[in-house]
Amino acid sequence: MSLSVDVVKQGGKRQTELFMRDKLHASIVAACLSVRAPEGQAESIAHAVCDAVIDWLQQHPEVTSQDIRVVAAKHLHIQHPQAAYLYEQHLITI
Amino acid sequence: MDIPSSLAIVSLAALIHASFQLSVSVLTLLSGHSIGAKHSHARLLRLTTSFVFGAGLMTMLLLSFISLILLDAFGDNTPQIVWAAGCGLLVGVAVAVWLFYYRREKGTTLWIPREIAGYLNERTKATKLSAEAFGLGLSGVIGEILFVIAPLFMASLVLIQLPTMWQLVGIAVYTIISMLSLTIVWVLIGSGHNLGIIQKWRESNKYFLQFAAGMGLIVLAFFVYVTKILGNTVGFQ
Repeated sequence: MSLSVDVVKQGGKRQTELFMRDKLHASIVAACLSVRAPEGQAESIAHAVCDAVIDWLQQHPEVTSQDIRVVAAKHLHIQHPQAAYLYEQHLITI
Repeated sequence: MDIPSSLAIVSLAALIHASFQLSVSVLTLLSGHSIGAKHSHARLLRLTTSFVFGAGLMTMLLLSFISLILLDAFGDNTPQIVWAAGCGLLVGVAVAVWLFYYRREKGTTLWIPREIAGYLNERTKATKLSAEAFGLGLSGVIGEILFVIAPLFMASLVLIQLPTMWQLVGIAVYTIISMLSLTIVWVLIGSGHNLGIIQKWRESNKYFLQFAAGMGLIVLAFFVYVTKILGNTVGFQ
């Protein structure tokens, strides 16, 4: 499913793209699985976080990918703090 | 210098090498991608094992290559000026490690060129085969060459003074000890530990690791300076 929200990619060097729920969902599931959460729990957490991010996006027609990351991490933190930690660390590990 | 002292220097240099963190960061990311992509545990093990072997092979090749160049240039009678330069390099890198090794921001971001970090990040994400993971292990060591060059150089200088058989032993000792931190993380990941806890430990202790690496380099420089330069000058040896 795609919402008509333009996402400005990191650094602003690449073209903007439409928000894709599936992409966000997959990244949340991956973060949850990485901290050894069961698959079912990872899926349900990802659904909840994606819903929360989409609610937030209703009031923001143009956002950066970093904005989405921050909002997703905030909601993920409520559901699974360890997964949220790893999700935030993804781009600041190397 | 006798064989036990030489091997002690090689071991300390290897331990300092082990405290550098780029390969551990890449291994953590690689495991995260593999687990997140729902790959089987066997595949995760294949990828991480290939990565560790790649890093080990590159360390061994770099040490052998630097030793060969130094042996070709100076034979087994290295001039004192080269020992002094080696000590200077150790002190210089130690100061650089204390000042720059970790970026002053959240996470475990390292002070390496951002292009190299970006490349490693992209390759980690794209790695699906053992051969790619092996290549990533090779690249991880190269990515940190600015820092690991100092212990590698000093270990090479010491190794070329040894008899041939002991040179091989020294190379093996260096490679095994320099892989300690990577091996520990590999075992933890392989035995099903939580990546979040591993990464959190690394982030919480990053300044200690930074300090320890810098201090290790200073201690190594001091020891070599005393035994090879002062010792020879005042006639201890």
